[in-house]
Amino acid sequence: MSDILKAVNLTKRFPGVIANENVNFDLRAGEVHCLFGENGAGKSTLSSCLFGFYQPEGGHIEIGGEIANFKSPRDAIHMGVGMVHQHFVLVAEFSVLENIVVGTHESGWQLKLTDARKRVEGLCAEYSIDLDLDARVGDLAVGQQQWVEILKALFLDAKVLILDEPSAVLTPEESLRLFRIIDHMKELGLSILLISHKMVEVMQADRVTVLRKGKVVDTVCPANVTPNELTRMMVGRDVELRMVRDRTEDAERKFETVLNVEKVSYRDGRGKLALDNVSLHIGKGEILGLAGVSGNGQKELFEILSGVLVPENGCLSLDGERIEGLPSRQYMDRGVGLVPDDRFREGLIPEFNIRENMILGWQRHDDYTNGMFLDHKQIGSIADGLIDEFQIATPSGATPVNHLSGGNAQKVILAREFVHSSKLLLANQPTRGLDLGVIEYVYKQIIAKREEGYAILLASEELEDLLNLSDRIAVMSGGKITGIVDPLTTTVEEIGLLMAGGKEEQAA
Amino acid sequence: MTISSVETQIASKSRLKIERRVNPKTSWTVFMYLLAVVIGFALTALLIMTSGADVFKAFAALFKGAFGSQKSVFATLAKSTPLILTGLATVVAFRAQVWSIGQEGQVYSGAMGAYFGCLIFAGLPVWMYLSLIILSGMIGGAILGGIAAILKDRFDVSEIISTVMMNYLIVFLLSYLIGGGPWTEVSSTVVYQQTGPVPEASQLPHLLGSSKLHLGFVFALVSALVCYVLLEKTPLGYEIRAMGFNPIALAYRGTNIGRTTVLVMVISGAVAGLAGVAEIFGTSHRLRADTLYNLGYTGIIIGMIGGLRPLGTVIAGIAFGGLASGALYMKLLAQVPAALVPAMQGIMLLTFLCAAVAARYKIVRIQSDG
Repeated sequence: MSDILKAVNLTKRFPGVIANENVNFDLRAGEVHCLFGENGAGKSTLSSCLFGFYQPEGGHIEIGGEIANFKSPRDAIHMGVGMVHQHFVLVAEFSVLENIVVGTHESGWQLKLTDARKRVEGLCAEYSIDLDLDARVGDLAVGQQQWVEILKALFLDAKVLILDEPSAVLTPEESLRLFRIIDHMKELGLSILLISHKMVEVMQADRVTVLRKGKVVDTVCPANVTPNELTRMMVGRDVELRMVRDRTEDAERKFETVLNVEKVSYRDGRGKLALDNVSLHIGKGEILGLAGVSGNGQKELFEILSGVLVPENGCLSLDGERIEGLPSRQYMDRGVGLVPDDRFREGLIPEFNIRENMILGWQRHDDYTNGMFLDHKQIGSIADGLIDEFQIATPSGATPVNHLSGGNAQKVILAREFVHSSKLLLANQPTRGLDLGVIEYVYKQIIAKREEGYAILLASEELEDLLNLSDRIAVMSGGKITGIVDPLTTTVEEIGLLMAGGKEEQAA
Repeated sequence: MTISSVETQIASKSRLKIERRVNPKTSWTVFMYLLAVVIGFALTALLIMTSGADVFKAFAALFKGAFGSQKSVFATLAKSTPLILTGLATVVAFRAQVWSIGQEGQVYSGAMGAYFGCLIFAGLPVWMYLSLIILSGMIGGAILGGIAAILKDRFDVSEIISTVMMNYLIVFLLSYLIGGGPWTEVSSTVVYQQTGPVPEASQLPHLLGSSKLHLGFVFALVSALVCYVLLEKTPLGYEIRAMGFNPIALAYRGTNIGRTTVLVMVISGAVAGLAGVAEIFGTSHRLRADTLYNLGYTGIIIGMIGGLRPLGTVIAGIAFGGLASGALYMKLLAQVPAALVPAMQGIMLLTFLCAAVAARYKIVRIQSDG
């Protein structure tokens, strides 16, 4: 097999970091090649260079044996490289067909939709993609929107398809389907570059290139290595891949209810029922796992439980006291801690330094004020103590948090929420995008809080983690709790089914 | 246009690219601002040349009029007093990313509030009288600011629109009051758009034997100090700065954004109102519209040039005060039109904004390999 796309000694620097250093990589015609690595290993930078979005500072890119000098993605598309980004670039108001055609060179001044329709229908048939071309894209499920993105690339005659963490937004069923079609595309001669950090997907690829700290560790065939070996290559050391909680004392525990949620509903700004009759309860010293594909009401649930949103119906009680409709300040004062999923947007003031972020929300608290004024000395000493305790890697407490890595920034939030809360901890995707080492650390901290008697709501997209950590797992789909399962007796398949809508929809 | 789009455009054409500096050095920042002054003067020189005047003579006259003698320094400080205050009003609002353009109207309403106070509190002991006048002036400005904030909080009305609209409204109200309404000066047969002189007891005392410099300048300096302490040392200041950077996280952690917006606008309005008080009771000694004109808009420029920092605003305010008091000299001694001064202010704003960007970014050349 010949190389269709090749990177030779590719180097790309950003201020303060070398994102790619002398990277050699080749994609053969008709293979699925996986880029594997931790966050910040340089996967996205490499693919952005291959797609012409960044220009490398050293080395070059070859297409079909010839040096290609991409000045912009337009050049890459012209050479037959297509990319599907993690965040889709679609117009919600347009139909599927319009989204595929608009913005392509072929459209010119006039949209020739009839001709285009024939071609797109042909492509759908060829790759067995089932999609209604006249549906409004905004009405499609996320998985279907991804097909639109893929069709866009195919419509432009892509020979190479770069897929950036394509399964991140999909249900288990949808990703199964995606990988079936990826296989089919491969058979038809397309070359696919897959960026992933999910072991299952990596093991399905023909070859895997492992990146660590901007350098290529090795390119291997998954058939010849074990998942453990791959993981070791990725992190450069052995890692206890999954946290497993000690369950020996579990049987004796009785959970005294801390938080009770009863028939809570919430309608979002567009009138969509984002939460539909949600009821659940969490006990003292209990971790309730929350599974579900993101965008199925988890975010709204967390915002309601922390007082950021007010439910339309239903009631909330904390230690028997009704709290719905109170301002978020009251929730904090009653001991509720929140680790939001979008940490830089919802949990931190990026331009503020670590010390200032450690008191966010508590800037008026007696501990941090001296009469009318902030007690900077006291804030500094408390914050610096937390920096040590939570092993936050930083030159000093005066460093702005936007200079920190995602993991260290997350530790700032954890430290703040842990010391200021006392009863209930709400953690929405606390490990998303973090390195394995930090993930392990975050989970250890959460388990420690469980031992202290906190009630904990933990949402994660990693089912394995929920199975290992939770006392019970609630599954959400379409704003409803579709089931609450026991992690010791359930299976990934059962949860996957509930995530996809559960028994109700199957019957209907 | 965002930086990244500039980046791709430049990158695709000339292989140059703008990158953010990791740690901008203070010396570099100072250098950029000095460069901004030099370039600003150079561009102004071009403008003076087009008017046919002698550039060197014009600048010499400008400097002499601004800082050439003790008398001119005092005149400069007097001119800078309301500008520093409206600049500080801008700092408080803009740091919270509340885009209030209402300083202009708040200067008027502050002046009107103070004049109202001077009418109703007449006869009280002089220090109490002065304090109440100042207080009513600040309340006048605060009310106007507060209205815009409440409109934003309750009805989601953009503060930019509401403050600009109120700037017009308040000027018309003042025109009515002093141009035929109840506050019009009655003694003369001709109606000037002004009130009669304010009582001597209400006038702000002059300082250091100057006939121009008055107590208002001290208020301006104290206000700058108060603004600094408020922003850097108090929980409210923490909330104001946090709101400017990321209101979402602030709201997630229990701070009421609407309430903070109202406080910001009330404080900003009160400071702008104080500018009106200083101008009327320190300099013109009667309420009239022309002396208040443009103080608020100029304050926005001064706050921006001062880097939205209280100390920077004081420096920029004094520099602009110097331009204003030197303009007359320049006109008399070098026959340069005084209208050149606002043009120069505009040029300075542009060069300073460029310097602020240049201090934070750098242009790098991309190495090409093929």
